[in-house]
Amino acid sequence: MIWLTWRQFHTRAVIAMAALIAFAVLMGITGTLLVSQFGGGSIATCQPPSDCTAAADDFLQKLMGSSALADSSVTGTGTYWLLFLLGIFTVLIVPALLGMFWGAPLIAGELEAGTHYLVWNQSITRSRWLAVKLTLIGLTAMAFTESLSLIWAWWATPISQAVASGAVATPLAMNQFSPLVFATHGITPLGYAAFAFALGITAGVLVRRAVPAMALTLAVFAVLQIAVPLWVRPGLFPADHSVSALSSFVALDVPIESGTFTVIPSGWDGHYEDWILSTRAVDAAGNPVSLLPQDCLQGQQTGKASHLPLLDCLASHGVRVALTYQPSSRYWAFQGTEAAIYIVLALTLAGFCFWRLNRRLT
Amino acid sequence: MVGLVGPNGAGKTTLLNLAVGMLAPTTGTIEVLGGRPAGPAQLAKVGYLAQQAPVYGGLSVADHLTLGAHLNRSWDGELARRRIERLALDPGQKAGTLSGGQRVQLALTVAVAKRPELLILDEPVASLDPLARREFLQDLMDAVAEQELSVVLSSHLTSDLERVCDFLIVLVGSRVRLAGSVDGLLETHHRLTGARRDPSTLPADQEVISASHTDVQTTLLVRTHRPVLDPSWTVSEVDLEDLVITYMRAAAGGGPQAVVHK
Repeated sequence: MIWLTWRQFHTRAVIAMAALIAFAVLMGITGTLLVSQFGGGSIATCQPPSDCTAAADDFLQKLMGSSALADSSVTGTGTYWLLFLLGIFTVLIVPALLGMFWGAPLIAGELEAGTHYLVWNQSITRSRWLAVKLTLIGLTAMAFTESLSLIWAWWATPISQAVASGAVATPLAMNQFSPLVFATHGITPLGYAAFAFALGITAGVLVRRAVPAMALTLAVFAVLQIAVPLWVRPGLFPADHSVSALSSFVALDVPIESGTFTVIPSGWDGHYEDWILSTRAVDAAGNPVSLLPQDCLQGQQTGKASHLPLLDCLASHGVRVALTYQPSSRYWAFQGTEAAIYIVLALTLAGFCFWRLNRRLT
Repeated sequence: MVGLVGPNGAGKTTLLNLAVGMLAPTTGTIEVLGGRPAGPAQLAKVGYLAQQAPVYGGLSVADHLTLGAHLNRSWDGELARRRIERLALDPGQKAGTLSGGQRVQLALTVAVAKRPELLILDEPVASLDPLARREFLQDLMDAVAEQELSVVLSSHLTSDLERVCDFLIVLVGSRVRLAGSVDGLLETHHRLTGARRDPSTLPADQEVISASHTDVQTTLLVRTHRPVLDPSWTVSEVDLEDLVITYMRAAAGGGPQAVVHK
């Protein structure tokens, strides 16, 4: 059975291997350049307790190819930004592709060609047939995805370090909990790969035709990849609460509209790797506040023109920021829980396939 | 060798799929060679050549033999190799590029080389031209004689079966309408032709299967274990095809007769 599995699978395995090598070479070369870029910047020598946020932002801005900071020596061209997006995209899309091209045709392809009549009438049971295919190809899918993820995580290490040092100013400054980074680092890709593969097989068993099963796999997987970060992940563990002074943020945006204000903070001192779920302005008593105090309104037509006086004025009225957040110490608990959820889902789907295969057979 | 014959949609494939365990019965049970289908021991004992003779288009002829060798403990590699050689199949050729006849032969080789006790073939010759059909059936008979196999073979054409089968089952509307040895069936059925008369006046031991009348003449197909002695009848033999068609027509006409000759 192992022979047959390999014989039917080896073309796809070779394609995957070639893709993995290509990805490794691309990321290896550019990653090395990225490391030297990091080593050449002020970020490399900046050590706490000194404030490294400016150095970190400077580093990321160079990668973006922008020159927001006057003293930055702009050498970047934006290539790293594209590579960053490519890495995220690859690691995100690969489980879906594996579910579509490895999982969905696994049984549906046999049903369409009628070859299940041939193979299920040899001297091994359907369950054994499925068990071997599921185990071998499923583990390959998980190993393949995780390899991509590890390569990508290595590539992005300098960027992660800059974010951990408080970089906030560019789109590159994605926190480890931001959906795109969280889903492409750590062990969650293992769970996604296992689940997408099992989902593909299940869709094939139910729809019995490979192409519609592929479409169904992609649709369900995409919906979950959107729904889980939005509604499931934040609630996996009860959030912590804190109230922090306005001065404890790297940057604060305070939009003002008809006498009311909101506070949009970024870069919470000492919590750069925490997951901020929500923020709101509160007064000294801890009650939500949005009405702009009269004396702060003086000369504040645009809200931008004199930002610092406005913040000082708000602070003098006791305005602070209340946050709900998940501390960075829970990162691996989140990673482990989400991977476990997806693997349990994958096993459930696989169990369903075994049951279905032995009940409704032709 | 058992022939299973019936019109399209009679339930032949369903019955055979039940026998090999590709389908599970919704009610009742099925036993083949003393066991329930689809268990590991049972799979080794029963060979199945499904309708259209599916093979893996992307795998070569030799790959199919390797597949058989890996998936069957009782695989007879020597037999498979000899058959492929005799059939002049190129081992390196992809199965997807084989002709219909070659494909069926390859599928039969895989089914036979696993050395089953019972070989079940679902319309194996349906896609073959008359020459290939005859060659396939001859080859099948050789394999049966050589390996002492039991065979169940389905077809909607009686002519395919009468040359090779010892036992015949007629299936119409998912019911067995007739079952018996081919010789026995031919011996006990007679065509009677004579002056027009009412079939109900026949002796009790002569069962009328079909009757047709013209103004002056009556033609009956009757089943009886005794000789027909009435001199007013001209008695003639029926051939198997007529017999099967008569039973099919009777069944289609709603005749609830299930006749099993032991």
